[in-house]
Amino acid sequence: MLSLDGEEFSVQLTKIDREDLYGSVEVEAFDEKGNPAQLLVLASDGKTLLNKGGTALATLDKNGNSVERNTLKPVNMEGVEIDTVESSFGVSNKLKVADIDDYLSQVVKSIYILDPVEDGDIKFLLDHLSSGLIYAFPFSYRGGTEYDNAFVIGNKDDAFMIIGKQARFQFAKLNQAAHLDAMEEEEISGDDIDFDLL
Amino acid sequence: MAINISNQKNRDALVAFEAVMPVRNVHFVDEKGNAVETRRLLKTDIEHDLDSLLKKRKSLSAISKALIKEDPEIDINAFGMFLTDTSKVYVSKKGIIHLVDEVEVVSNPDGSLRERRSRKKEAQNVNTDVPLRWTGKFIKKEDAAHRFVFTHKRQLIHVNGLTFDFLYDMAKELHERNSFLIVRGGEKGDKPIVMHRGGLQYNAFLEGRIKDDEYLLILQLSNIELKRPKEISSES
Repeated sequence: MLSLDGEEFSVQLTKIDREDLYGSVEVEAFDEKGNPAQLLVLASDGKTLLNKGGTALATLDKNGNSVERNTLKPVNMEGVEIDTVESSFGVSNKLKVADIDDYLSQVVKSIYILDPVEDGDIKFLLDHLSSGLIYAFPFSYRGGTEYDNAFVIGNKDDAFMIIGKQARFQFAKLNQAAHLDAMEEEEISGDDIDFDLL
Repeated sequence: MAINISNQKNRDALVAFEAVMPVRNVHFVDEKGNAVETRRLLKTDIEHDLDSLLKKRKSLSAISKALIKEDPEIDINAFGMFLTDTSKVYVSKKGIIHLVDEVEVVSNPDGSLRERRSRKKEAQNVNTDVPLRWTGKFIKKEDAAHRFVFTHKRQLIHVNGLTFDFLYDMAKELHERNSFLIVRGGEKGDKPIVMHRGGLQYNAFLEGRIKDDEYLLILQLSNIELKRPKEISSES
């Protein structure tokens, strides 16, 4: 459920990725006699071979002892225990206008296309997005220790939700400025760029 | 990592090229408030997976009985060891192989086969003798944001005073134009960016921001447009 300028409406999310738009490439491998080969992981002992799913993650305390994950406490950077956050489904999520630089500073985790639920309508949202505005709200799929950032953005026809985390950028500094020389330049359209890079 | 990139004057320089990590505001501590760490362990290997057990025991019911009786799926000496310095290898029925014929199977979005072709591993083109080119092709930031998804980012950072000027200059122009610059690789300056041999190809856009005498230069990488896939109809 999204809330924009006092109006609430439900949307359904469909996750999209590159394969949905452009297709996919899988690699098949064969030895010199044409026998199929598979890509495996070789451990540092030089003999242990493992497949996908052959590894596990263990949490260790400072003495190297295994710690059960359910005994861990989430804390903030000051070491203060934090409350967990709720899932964003089933609650109203208020959209706020976002800054484009904040949107472009996200490390993207997933992309969803937004559609109305059955008998629903998101024309109100699409109208707002058509002006070029980008909206944001804190988002958590299942609930957990912290929210991701959800940005709602439109192209000409559809609404999308981009989930990400703020990237750790740092402005670089030194004590000199430069002057610019002119060169031949050209404004181009996005249509000139090929994305079918298979 | 280094990147060789040219500027507006077609001068090139080698500068630092760093991955950008997300900000982490939360970490976990144990019951005593001490920090914990995560390590990767060996859970099972191919000698103990279902296929291998089936070869030895011939039937699932025989495996079931063996699982109860003698734990054939576990190697107590090896399982649980920390995994470090692993490598990826191809294995056929002859064992680990070094001569491999790789075939790419290219499928359309609907899953139908488009083509089969020998795998060609493109060389990386961010740090070669041929610098990435300042193409002089710009796209407004707002336009780019509404058309492409920038799934990966790298930050360009100067390595000395000269390259500070070099990069600041680029960032300033892009900041003032409020535009991204399209960056290309290769001899002709017409290739997408490949960051390591055989890696994914990206359309690269250079974004610049300045704040007083500081600059931020980001290579925004995209391999997906912001558009509805044909298979996902708005009616569905």
